[in-house]
Amino acid sequence: MDVALQLTNISKQFGATRALDGVDLTVRHGEVHALLGENGSGKSTLIKVLAGVHEPEPGGRLLIGGDPAPLPMPTGAYHRYGLSFVHQDLGLARPLTVLENLVGSASRDEFSRLHVNWRREAAAARTMLQGYGVDIDPRTIVNELPPVGQALIAIARAAEELREHRERTGAATSVMVLDEPTVFLPEEELEFLFGLIRQVVAQGSSVIFISHDLAAVRTIADSVTVLRDGRVVAQSSMDAVTDDEIVEYIVGPIKSRELHEHGGSFHVERPVDRTASPVLTVRGLSGDRLDHLDLDLVPGEIVGLAGLLGSGAEEVPYLLFGAQSASAGTATVGGRKVDVARQQPAAAVQMGMSFIPADRNRDGIAREIEIDRNMLALVLRRFTQGGRLRNRRVRRTADERAIDFDLRPRRTDLPIGTLSGGNAQKVVLAKWLETEPTVLLLHEPTQGVDVAARAQIYRKIIDAADARSMAVVWVSSDFEELATTCDRIVVMNNGQETSQMLGAEITPEGITARVFAGQHAVDDAATTAGASA
Amino acid sequence: MTDATTANGSTPDGSIPDGRTPPDPVVGNQTRGPSLFRRYGEQLALPVAWLLIVVFFSIQEPDLFPTSRNLGSLLGTQTALFIVALAALLPAMAGDLDLSLGWAGAFGAMVMAVLNTQHDWGIVPAALVALLIGAACGFFNGFVVVKLKTEPFIMTLGTGAVFQGFVLWVSDSNTVTNVARSLSTWTLQTKVWVIPIQFFYALAIMLVIWWVAEHTPLGVRWLFVGKSRDVARLSGINTDRIRWGAFTAAGALAAFGAVVFVGNSGSMSPVSFSPFLLPAYAAVFLGATTIHPGRFNPIGTGIAVLFLATGVQGLRIMGADDFTQFLFYGGTLVVAVAGSRYLRGK
Repeated sequence: MDVALQLTNISKQFGATRALDGVDLTVRHGEVHALLGENGSGKSTLIKVLAGVHEPEPGGRLLIGGDPAPLPMPTGAYHRYGLSFVHQDLGLARPLTVLENLVGSASRDEFSRLHVNWRREAAAARTMLQGYGVDIDPRTIVNELPPVGQALIAIARAAEELREHRERTGAATSVMVLDEPTVFLPEEELEFLFGLIRQVVAQGSSVIFISHDLAAVRTIADSVTVLRDGRVVAQSSMDAVTDDEIVEYIVGPIKSRELHEHGGSFHVERPVDRTASPVLTVRGLSGDRLDHLDLDLVPGEIVGLAGLLGSGAEEVPYLLFGAQSASAGTATVGGRKVDVARQQPAAAVQMGMSFIPADRNRDGIAREIEIDRNMLALVLRRFTQGGRLRNRRVRRTADERAIDFDLRPRRTDLPIGTLSGGNAQKVVLAKWLETEPTVLLLHEPTQGVDVAARAQIYRKIIDAADARSMAVVWVSSDFEELATTCDRIVVMNNGQETSQMLGAEITPEGITARVFAGQHAVDDAATTAGASA
Repeated sequence: MTDATTANGSTPDGSIPDGRTPPDPVVGNQTRGPSLFRRYGEQLALPVAWLLIVVFFSIQEPDLFPTSRNLGSLLGTQTALFIVALAALLPAMAGDLDLSLGWAGAFGAMVMAVLNTQHDWGIVPAALVALLIGAACGFFNGFVVVKLKTEPFIMTLGTGAVFQGFVLWVSDSNTVTNVARSLSTWTLQTKVWVIPIQFFYALAIMLVIWWVAEHTPLGVRWLFVGKSRDVARLSGINTDRIRWGAFTAAGALAAFGAVVFVGNSGSMSPVSFSPFLLPAYAAVFLGATTIHPGRFNPIGTGIAVLFLATGVQGLRIMGADDFTQFLFYGGTLVVAVAGSRYLRGK
């Protein structure tokens, strides 16, 4: 039995998007199979089909160890077919001990007993962990472990589940899916993880390894499948492809893309006076991942920060705004300098900063509160006379903005939670632009926003940058978005700036290539990007 | 997950279209609100229930219930509850909970009673001290909960026990009697028609809270802090100051309720005031089912107090035992909140 897992002809449609289009995936027994692709290429969708989260279209087939398994996979049933998933968040209850996590894990529920003998469980857990070469006391609180320790626990737990499954059913096959387990791990600790993965394979499991980190894939994977726009574009053994070829598969042959339909560039040249004195100056900004970032923005400039998750780019707006605490750094906005480590959101607003966070429903909108109040909460002073808030004027102004921002429906008296993602985000943008900020900080501003609203949001931001010389820091994992809107791209890897792109150099493919290539291959990427320009 | 964009479709093409030409496809049925029953059923449930029990008691006890005397007694005796409910409302509107209010108020009133009867203080300065003590208790709650970032539920339970200790200490665990009679002219004895003037104090406080909440920028910030604290913070609103202020004002208001309470009986027992906490919260939560369902609101709280007061008074007139008032307080709270949840289809 050579093939551990075989997916055939998997398709999935989301609205107008073909997320998966006849995808085949074959994982051989005892191999580490890398699954690669850009954001939105369909990797996660494919994995979610396997886990039973998404239902694929009819016509697909799944074989595990040569035997047919049901598609769609019933919810929670993947355990029974020898599948196990370790997601990026690891699925550990962090305030609990390692032992409690091991005893309480879902698959153990099938054997739930009335009594847990903790001493025996602890001994068993210690033996089990040692068997995997993991030297961690099971009574440790998960939170107190370093990230690599947490990852090892999660993987060991999954491996043990699979081993038990094989023993119980006599199955020869099991498959562990590792979904970006390396994102938060420092380079030097990856070796521990690889050691464990090799052991899992030696025991008789196969591994599907999803990662953006080509170096890690090169080290651990035996073969690779690359997805692009929902299709398999390459399936090969690792020995047969170079890193450059893999990057090319991931981003696609540059010339074939719609690039040329738009006059050779996504980028719209905007007049930005780079000799002007900067309106935002950042020095030595450091956070969890971010390591001494310097940044200067001139008035009206839109700068994109591009990096993979874990590169530190995604921290920048939160740190500058005081939404997350920075470990060091200073920021100067319009001549006013602050210690970012002590930044508070209220002070950031005073300085002329605005911030649109990625998690709109948690951080951006107060769902139960009316649209007009969400929109104008920051400028109520303008509507106050003699201590009295003129609610009718608030509503009237909000109604005007609703027309200006093409809000649908044009009712500002409803709770904002009734709006679609795109319309809610327009309200958030309107709210911040109303304060006439000097600097606008954006993190994934069009996440969950439909295409039409997206274009309107781009237009509003660019107009405000033009009209009021507002500077914009734009962090997004959507590189087409960055290429569409930004005057300059700062590429980040491992918490540091690795390169910059300007003007016509800025293409989605160019950004992707530099981001994926990472620090080591910046030069190669520059050549690729240059060829496209 | 890095593939978050998958479901959202492809990104727009490279050109940046003019701001408003493309129609937004995602409007759907969002303009359509809930059905009439769902929209107004919840809002009107409490006022309608109130009318029903008024009619019910009027039919059952036609000689005793629908009388001006009973009206004055009903509104007068429940004023302390009304004020404590408004006190509990303030932190609730900021998304917090203060379980120490009963004891914070009792502490203030007990000090007033002791100063007045044993230390020859005039009733007015003694009452002012009571308000200050209440405010100090609230300020301390704010410090513990907001500044030290702790859970209000357990912390105010703790500070409440501390305040209880102070009450027993300053009173020597005794009931303090013979508080100046002039206090009751300020509260119970002076009447507008048949209604004791204290009821109008509560009414005025309710209207002030309503005004601030509905017609000032502070009210809007308060609403954001209560409904979405993260959003408020990330909008640059000083959430700490609003929460802390709400705790402090609540403490002072609870003490005011206790002062009124002393005015009604002329004495202060160490344990008689704190039981107002449960019906006060019952009124706050009941009130959130009416006027503006889903939001703690002062007018709703006022209606809920009247509802509870009417029910308890009616039962008393019908000769029901004392324990029935707890059944009534607790029972309505459970039914109202569960029913409101149901109407909202959650």
